Amino acid sequence: MNWLIINVVSWMLFFFGAAFPVLILLKAIGLTGFMKVTRYESYHTFYYRMNPSVKIILGIMVMVVASVTIWWIGAIMTVAILSSYLTLKEGKRKFITGMFLTIMTVIGTTWAFAPYTPYVILQEAFHNSHLTTLWVWPSYFTVMGYQPALTTQGLIYGFQISMRFTAVSLMSLVLVMTSTPSQVLRSLNKVGIPTSLTFSLVVAMRTVPRIFEYIDTSVKIQFMKGLGSNAPSIMRPFYMLAGAFSGIVPVIVFLVRGAKDTAISADTRAFRAYSKRTYMHPMTIGKVDKMALSAVILIILMTVIMVMMGFGKGISYNG
Amino acid sequence: MKALEIQNLKFFYMGREEPAIDIEHLSIEDGETVLITGRSGGGKSTLVNCITGIIPHVFHGEFEGEVNVYGKSTVKTPLSKLSTEVGIVLQNPETQVLNYTVEEEVAFGPENLCLESEDISERVRESVDITGTSHLMDRETYTLSGGELQRIAIAAVLSMRPKLLILDEPTSNIDPEGTAKVFDIIRKLKEEKTLIVVEHKVERMLPFVDRIIVIDNGKILLDIKSSELSHYVEKMVEIGIEVPIHFIYARQNGIDSEDMDTIRERLRQINMIPAPPKRAETSRVVMQAAVSVSTKAGKKLVDGEIELQEKQILAIMGRNGAGKSTFLKGLMGFLDIDLNCEIQAALDGRDISREHIIKRGKEIAFVPQNFDLTLISKSVELEVAYSLKKRKVKNYMDRVDKLLDMFSLSDLRYRDPLSLSLGQRRRVAMASAMASGVKVIMLDEPTSGQDYFHKQVLGKELTRIKEAGYSIIIVTHDSRFVYRFADRVVVFNEGRKVLDGTPESVFMESRQYSILPPSDFILRSDENELVNH
Repeated sequence: MNWLIINVVSWMLFFFGAAFPVLILLKAIGLTGFMKVTRYESYHTFYYRMNPSVKIILGIMVMVVASVTIWWIGAIMTVAILSSYLTLKEGKRKFITGMFLTIMTVIGTTWAFAPYTPYVILQEAFHNSHLTTLWVWPSYFTVMGYQPALTTQGLIYGFQISMRFTAVSLMSLVLVMTSTPSQVLRSLNKVGIPTSLTFSLVVAMRTVPRIFEYIDTSVKIQFMKGLGSNAPSIMRPFYMLAGAFSGIVPVIVFLVRGAKDTAISADTRAFRAYSKRTYMHPMTIGKVDKMALSAVILIILMTVIMVMMGFGKGISYNG
Repeated sequence: MKALEIQNLKFFYMGREEPAIDIEHLSIEDGETVLITGRSGGGKSTLVNCITGIIPHVFHGEFEGEVNVYGKSTVKTPLSKLSTEVGIVLQNPETQVLNYTVEEEVAFGPENLCLESEDISERVRESVDITGTSHLMDRETYTLSGGELQRIAIAAVLSMRPKLLILDEPTSNIDPEGTAKVFDIIRKLKEEKTLIVVEHKVERMLPFVDRIIVIDNGKILLDIKSSELSHYVEKMVEIGIEVPIHFIYARQNGIDSEDMDTIRERLRQINMIPAPPKRAETSRVVMQAAVSVSTKAGKKLVDGEIELQEKQILAIMGRNGAGKSTFLKGLMGFLDIDLNCEIQAALDGRDISREHIIKRGKEIAFVPQNFDLTLISKSVELEVAYSLKKRKVKNYMDRVDKLLDMFSLSDLRYRDPLSLSLGQRRRVAMASAMASGVKVIMLDEPTSGQDYFHKQVLGKELTRIKEAGYSIIIVTHDSRFVYRFADRVVVFNEGRKVLDGTPESVFMESRQYSILPPSDFILRSDENELVNH
């Protein structure tokens, strides 16, 4: 009996880590929720007035700082950037969506590290040879790369690692939600990236929200046709995930059929006629950009000081 | 000066032995407005692609002959240089609009030409003025209606200041109001540019065009002055092109006139007014549904109800944004989770309001406008069997065979659904949606982007399905299709049902909601009644 319980609970924990974040996200915000955080909407607050180049610099800065400093600096940046979502158009909704995305990134990353991280690393990270065991996995779990047991330190370690990703993901979404692809194209062209390359990015930025919309339709039609009809309703998020995978091929075929028109539309409007383009509104550096760049410089200085004070070690993450 | 000169043009797509287009000679004078029409797949798009230079610059294949636009060879001139001579607006505005904001979209072309920012602004202003879209400048393109988006697509091409403008089925995906605005633009541009319009709506285009060219099987079948159309009615109908119905009756009854009122009067005198299409008789109510949709902020988007009878085709019409598709999606549980949706629905007297989409889908089928998204299986047979397998129906192959037979898909049963033609794909989507034994089938904009021939095929299919015992709801803008095939029409306006009745009674009053009665109806109507309404 004991053996059975251990196995059942272990497999439940395994699936929790693999599927729970995605399933909760699908339940909470739906596929169309992804569409909303990957699509530009015009508005007037500071992010929208900021030059996309500055936003790209900010994003790079956040990534560098999160990866060279201690975990709680990443956590502070996450909270700060997430709070700034409230200034976006429909800020409250985007804040909640961003929060869900963050929580799920934390759960997903924690679970991706906690059971796998070798004890020797945990001992070094926590300056402690004694690890607190929370759950002992069945011995065959080691085949999947699991350590023999799940430890408190493993979970904390995973959590701390997740702080490397959360701030930068939130900042990337700020760029997507507050800059049009054309603005991004202008910024990238200005630093010498060829138009043909940046145009692919522009088309991608325009296409990604549509992918979520079309997959959502495909999944709903599959449900209508009986997908998951004999399963309990608690299993529906799993079927939604399965339906989303099944919908990928028709969605791609559908998009590729439309891509022909996109190519014609660009080519017959002199796209790539010259190696450079001019713009109706040339990019300028305004007051908001100067403030943001000042913030970037401040962050760089603080990061240097932090690193010098010893808060910049990759390990240990708990300082 | 000649705007277009084609000599001995032949183009073969890769791997094809027959040419997709084969034109010995064609020329269009500067300032002419020409309608190119013909069945889908007949070669119209290939021809315009040759004129714009897309063939051979973008689409490759075997190209023979000479195509010159304002003296420039489309083969030897780079596409970017041709773009100021010839511009093209495509059928589907959603796929041709590249940018997020209207201003960026219209400025895209001039920016590619490396013009000064003042020049770009001037061109953008000029283009949005012509198309009447200056009020949309600050909008995101994805928030626009189909009609608005198409006008932006036209503005985006006009900002290149092409001398020759090609509009490839510019109204096939938009509502009557949007269509009327596109025709207004064509009327304005006719004075300034050489225009080639590829269109199935011959009747609507007649007042604007000087010439009509009919393309079929890659060849020019007819090249006539627009005033000569009535003499070629039989030939056009034979090819499968939609022509004004009064022309057909005038021709059949030896009436030498093109005026609707005169023809109707003469037909009445000789007692030859055709009988109206047969409508299904009143039968028992299969489904009653009331749907109310609002935003989280409380704004009502839809608040309407419908009643569907057994063996009936019910059409839902209205302007873009009137709430037709939202009504259907609300009823099926397809709406965004950000919207509040309340449903009161009964099917055969059984309350289905609270049923999950899985259960509701067992009795109500929904075929969306983008039906390709529903085709997830590797073969037609598996696609049709999908629902039966998922619902664990025993011995389901008999039912699959029947459906394949019903939709003429038996010969295609092992083919990949996505590799089939448009009409075949739609039939697979319908057969698959109906497989679990549904009673009601709902189709969102099934006529959108279809030519006359395919619309006739669709209408006949729906009639056959109806006669087999099913009840059908279609959302459409096509009043001619509705007049011919629907038994009842419901018109939505600003989210509410405003008209409900037979096509005859609804078309009497539908103009106020931007739904133009088709010529089929006007021909059969009493002149006094029409005037009174």
